[in-house]
Amino acid sequence: MTITGIVTILMFVLAPYIWFIIAGLVIIVALHFSAYLRGYQITRHHSVIALLLAGLVGLTAYVWIPWLTHSKLDYVATVFDWVALTGAAIAAFIVALIVLHPLSYLISDRRIH
Amino acid sequence: MHKPLLLNRRELLKLGTGLGVSSLIPLSAVSANTLQTQAHIVILGGGAAGMAMANRLATRLEGGTITLVEPRETHHYQPGWTLVASGVWQPDKTMRPNAQFVPRGVKWVREYAASIDADNKRISLANGATLNYDYLVVATGIQLNYHLIEGMSPTLVGQHGIGSVYASLDGAIRTNQAIQTWLDHGQGKGIFTAAPTPVKCAGAPMKMTFTTLSRLEASGRRDAFDVEYMAPGTSLFSQPWVNEFVKQRFDEQGVTRRHHYRLSAIDPQAKQAEFTFIGPESEFTSHHQLREAEFRRENQPTVIADYDFIHVVPPMSAHDFIKQSALIAQDGPFRGEWLDVDIYTMQHNRYPDVFGIGDVIGAPINKTAASVKAQAPVVEANLLAVMQGNPLPARHTGYTSCPMITGIGKAMLVEFGYEDNFAFMPSFSFIDPTDESWVTWVMKDRMLQPAYYAVLAGQA
Ligand SMILES: Cc1cc2nc3c(=O)[nH]c(=O)nc-3n(C[C@H](O)[C@H](O)[C@H](O)COP(=O)(O)OP(=O)(O)OC[C@H]3O[C@@H](n4cnc5c(N)ncnc54)[C@H](O)[C@@H]3O)c2cc1C
Repeated sequence: MTITGIVTILMFVLAPYIWFIIAGLVIIVALHFSAYLRGYQITRHHSVIALLLAGLVGLTAYVWIPWLTHSKLDYVATVFDWVALTGAAIAAFIVALIVLHPLSYLISDRRIH
Repeated sequence: MHKPLLLNRRELLKLGTGLGVSSLIPLSAVSANTLQTQAHIVILGGGAAGMAMANRLATRLEGGTITLVEPRETHHYQPGWTLVASGVWQPDKTMRPNAQFVPRGVKWVREYAASIDADNKRISLANGATLNYDYLVVATGIQLNYHLIEGMSPTLVGQHGIGSVYASLDGAIRTNQAIQTWLDHGQGKGIFTAAPTPVKCAGAPMKMTFTTLSRLEASGRRDAFDVEYMAPGTSLFSQPWVNEFVKQRFDEQGVTRRHHYRLSAIDPQAKQAEFTFIGPESEFTSHHQLREAEFRRENQPTVIADYDFIHVVPPMSAHDFIKQSALIAQDGPFRGEWLDVDIYTMQHNRYPDVFGIGDVIGAPINKTAASVKAQAPVVEANLLAVMQGNPLPARHTGYTSCPMITGIGKAMLVEFGYEDNFAFMPSFSFIDPTDESWVTWVMKDRMLQPAYYAVLAGQA
């Protein structure tokens, strides 16, 4: 398949979710920007809660990602199924952390003082 | 109601350009392959195959005229109907305006073709107009012959326990409702049928059985429901491994299989189906198992079966106006029923200026959108060669693909072609066609529709 073919397919895959993706990106940028204005630095801030919550999102992804695809964990059977689902769960963990990490800074006591 | 965001093709391509996609395609590659012509090419039918050809030829030809004859304003993504009928998809997900796909520069005639005069290269349209062509691409798909089942009509789908995923999008919605009504009833017998002719997406009747089994199992009352599969032949599917797999799985899931039974009539009010036995006498199932009535019609044993739900698969063929034209197969297994093309080059066997693509062609397998994807570049290359007086450069392998849904949430990616007794032709080395898998289901649920639209756009 040509590169244009692959890109066209990806465009059609993303099309129904494009506003969702844009809204998600806007929220992430807005969160990071407002936290940054209040002194947030991604490497300096440590939040066990954010890490735990993101971990929970990643773990539960093994249930809700199959559910979102009208399926269930029971049907995740082949090695490739597990690799794909684990990849998706890791992605869910990373996205959750990117949101929760600056959020935890914004609502933590440290910012208020 | 909440409407999902749908970008049309032009918006999509614009978006692609915005992402720097255009820089990936050297312009020279696009223009170097175009052919200057004065010819008039007519494409009959703007479904998966016709639209793919319109887009491909529009990019490859300079000058000349391309006319697309397609009466419908709405394009239906038919592979989604199985998911609609199984209650998994919302119906509106399967529809898009045809206008999104018709390429610029292609003349779109919104009419039905009524006849083809292949000797004089002329098409008559339903409104009485005529079109002359230099080259013709026939892509009119399939005719559903419900009328060959006595008492049956597609308007009955959704009533009296009758379902049929093939009838239309509306038919798929009503099939879902008929299955739900049966489920709500809490018990009873469901009969799943198959057709005695080639059908589009040969796996669809089995997919409907498997997804319904999932629903019956989820109801917690599986044992209260009888499920029967009535097949006209000995096999259920052309690919031998899959055929054996489905048979075994049906047996494991408590589906009673009966072979050599053709649905010949239906009595919707009485909820009775008449099956004609078309196999060796030794394999005739005891009529007591079906019902008391047994008689002979035109010397063939016939039985009557009660049902609470029946899934009807109509006999299929090329459309009548194709059958009445000189383009129809004159001998061999497709005689009188399907378009007469060389199954490898897609060129008509007797009219070299005519090509066939998609469901309409006489071929042993192949009635899938996945086949259209494989056929489109072959037709494009060979048609351009004919236009230049060159030998035909491309051959179709018979590639076809059917994500065999084995339950709601799992599927097998079955891909095969003509060679080696329909040997598997997997596209992805990491997906074993004999494995039931969640990823394959996700592909069916999420990826295949985008890939299908890319085929329509001539991009895949
Ligand atoms: C329930 C179901 C499930 C399916 N599942 C799958 C699947 O999982 N995978 C897969 O690959 N394929 C699947 N298919 C098959 C796939 O949809 C078809 O193989 C594909 O659409 C064939 O394309 P086509 O262009 O030949 O026919 P179509 O897409 O049917 O298009 C034919 C076109 O011709 C037009 N036409 C008809 N008569 C005339 C006339 N007289 N004049 C002008 N135009 C006319 C029609 O309006 C239509 O637009 C499924 C089909 C069904 C019904």
